Amino acid sequence: MIQSQSNELSLSGADASLIPKPTYVQADDTDTMTTESSEAGGIIRSKDFCLFYGRTAGVKNITMDIYARMVTAIIGPSGCGKSTFLRSINRMNDLIPNIRTEGSLTVNGQDVYDRRVNLVNLRQQVGMVFQKPNPFAKSIYDNIAYGPRLQGIHNRSELNSIVEECLNDAFLWDEVKDDLQKSALALSGGQQQRLCIARALATRPRALLMDEPCSALDPIATARIEELIAKLKDRYTIVIVTHNMQQAARVSERTAFFCLGELIEYDQTSRFFTNPSNKQTEDYITGRFG
Amino acid sequence: MGFRIFSRDFADRCFTAFSIMSVVLMVCVLVMVLGPMMLHGLKAVFFFGTNEFREMQLAVFGHGDSERIRRENGEIEEARLFVYEAVGRFRRGIDTDHLSDDVRDIYRDYGSYLRDNGVSGERYSTLRARAKVLRDTLQDAFESRDKGTVQRNLQSVLELRDDPDFRGTVIEAYFEKAESYTHVVESVDLSKREQYAKAFDEVQEALSKLFGPRPGELLPALTIDQYGATRWDVVQRELQKLLWIEEWVETEPGQPMVKHRTARKEFFANTDLEPIFDYTEKNLYRLFRPRLTFYWRYFLDESTDGHYFGGCGPEILGTLALTFFSMLFSIPLGIISAAFLVECTSDNIVVRVIRTCINTLAGVPSIVFGLFGMAFFVLFLFPMLGEFGHETLGIFSAETAKNLTKPNILAASFTLGLLVLPVIIRASEEAIRAVPRTYKEAALALGAGQFRTFMTVILPAAAPGIFTGIILSLSRAAGETAPILFTGAIAFGPVPDSILEPTRALSYGSYDIAVGDRLAMLVPHKQYGMVMTLVALVLTLNIIAIWIRSRSSRKLRGI
Repeated sequence: MIQSQSNELSLSGADASLIPKPTYVQADDTDTMTTESSEAGGIIRSKDFCLFYGRTAGVKNITMDIYARMVTAIIGPSGCGKSTFLRSINRMNDLIPNIRTEGSLTVNGQDVYDRRVNLVNLRQQVGMVFQKPNPFAKSIYDNIAYGPRLQGIHNRSELNSIVEECLNDAFLWDEVKDDLQKSALALSGGQQQRLCIARALATRPRALLMDEPCSALDPIATARIEELIAKLKDRYTIVIVTHNMQQAARVSERTAFFCLGELIEYDQTSRFFTNPSNKQTEDYITGRFG
Repeated sequence: MGFRIFSRDFADRCFTAFSIMSVVLMVCVLVMVLGPMMLHGLKAVFFFGTNEFREMQLAVFGHGDSERIRRENGEIEEARLFVYEAVGRFRRGIDTDHLSDDVRDIYRDYGSYLRDNGVSGERYSTLRARAKVLRDTLQDAFESRDKGTVQRNLQSVLELRDDPDFRGTVIEAYFEKAESYTHVVESVDLSKREQYAKAFDEVQEALSKLFGPRPGELLPALTIDQYGATRWDVVQRELQKLLWIEEWVETEPGQPMVKHRTARKEFFANTDLEPIFDYTEKNLYRLFRPRLTFYWRYFLDESTDGHYFGGCGPEILGTLALTFFSMLFSIPLGIISAAFLVECTSDNIVVRVIRTCINTLAGVPSIVFGLFGMAFFVLFLFPMLGEFGHETLGIFSAETAKNLTKPNILAASFTLGLLVLPVIIRASEEAIRAVPRTYKEAALALGAGQFRTFMTVILPAAAPGIFTGIILSLSRAAGETAPILFTGAIAFGPVPDSILEPTRALSYGSYDIAVGDRLAMLVPHKQYGMVMTLVALVLTLNIIAIWIRSRSSRKLRGI
């Protein structure tokens, strides 16, 4: 039953057929870049990282390096801990009571779960985009300016340039430049998600965490987000959690497969999808997962 | 199958019908309850005001066209002269105590007149004795019920009219009185004098209720008595009292008493008083000049003693002040408490107990809050703070410290604030809880702290819900009587200068009129006027709050 459903999912390529597939084709070209980066070492390094909700483990013994200026995709079935791991990176899990961590997780060499870590700095360095577009009920301008204002930037012209730059980066400037004071909630879903990305960029982060950013969007909006990701990866380190394996294949250089809280396989995307080394991974990507 | 479809359809229709019916019923009840009250209340603002009203407004509050009022007043006094003269004439025949007193005074004046003119010795005694005889004869005449005796006595007095001893002295007044009384005796039935005297008192009272004090008479102490009927409906009411004698008579032994009406005109038939009844009834318009009045100053004016005249300006101000300060106290506290309950604690046993306590507090009767406010704020906390501040810290003046020991606006506001606090906490808690988690996550992910997140993201998103709580509590705070009963409300008194003085309030004012039983019957328009003002005030405040809420929620939805 599950198997057939998964097959349907992977074959019903409504989005896949509509969208140009740059990453499949370019997979080989990016390989060289990947190796270069990996030599430099990961910007986000996780070593035997475990996170427990009370007694139950959310993720266990995750050891992986996430490399700078590269898109890393995390895939896996629901409840496998991929979102938990993602949210651990900028400590968004702190909202949940009774959590406990083991092992180490560093961003730029700084231990994230160190008591002395400045959460504000950490979260500004590691931005996040959520599953559902969640712009504040403020104007477009105020949404983008929210982060810079937190950093103490109140100069009007400086804010203006940041807003314009971030909206440009998010491919949104042309659509909204005439009415920046309009409520962000009046935008369409896809525009809202791009606004959220622009908002995250406004704090000038090093890394961008995306938690299923396209799952609430239609294929065209998804295509634009993917296009955006492709553009942003030159400057930012991007970690994207997705349920859509085609998307992972299209946008990422490296892919990690999580299952039951453990990291099963982590490899270059081209190799991951064509020649998985693990049986479980192969079952999952071919839709025989059980 | 067909039957099932039919029955489902039937049930749907029934449901719709019942829903519509219950809504209609609710509207009807609302109209039935509020309608008459508002209608009565409007009488305080729209009514036919008589000249007395305009005169009172000019004298007491300084409003109105003084020139015109004086002119009209002159014309009205002229028209009333007929009544006053008739009353004067009748009084002379009835009010003989008054005449006897006059006669005695004149006798005393005559004695001092003689002494001043150097008359002494035997001549003085003789003249005094003769005057004394005259005095006694006259007094006998005034007191007698027998027409023959009276006329004989008066005749014997008048015989001495040309006596040289009395010419040019104050005694001449005796002869005038004797002469006028001769006319009176001819027109008045002396045997009925006792009855007349009692009925005449009633007539005079009714007349003073209608026309106010007679011109030239000493002004009564109370403002209530200084003016006649100021409103056309009062005129009508008092006119009935003037025209009819109402008595409760027992027709048969053991049967309930029956109201019996007789016309005063018949009672006073063939006396000087008889024509005034018809005259007053026929010339009512001329005597009062009623005019449709829109007394908008009702909402601004101070009121006179017993709320009888004037408006409810200080009451409105007091209600606004009480509402404002109680909201100032309860809104921040309520929102902070709600934020704490939602944001800062996990759902443990303590929080659940606190929440239950808050819910229970919302159901506690308001009089309990009133008594608590009196015991805690007025009797315990404020005097203690006042004493501490005055004697130890020296930051309060002696007057402030003294004010703190008495009921005041601050204590009443705190009490009202406590009363509405549970409502605000509950509404705010629900509203804050309803803000999507994603908003909070988004702000946190951008590096905002918990406080910043709450202030910039959660609070604006929860604002419409919080406003709902505020609207509910605003109406409650403005309308409650019991909590301010002992903590800061007074029925009469000056407009407060500071929040450490007691104030008047609409709710307490209407309560006070209602329990001052006689007063409520005299000024029903004032009582309902206050109620109407209160309802209108609360409605206005609510409309403003609803407008703000809809604006903020529209902004949230991005329209």
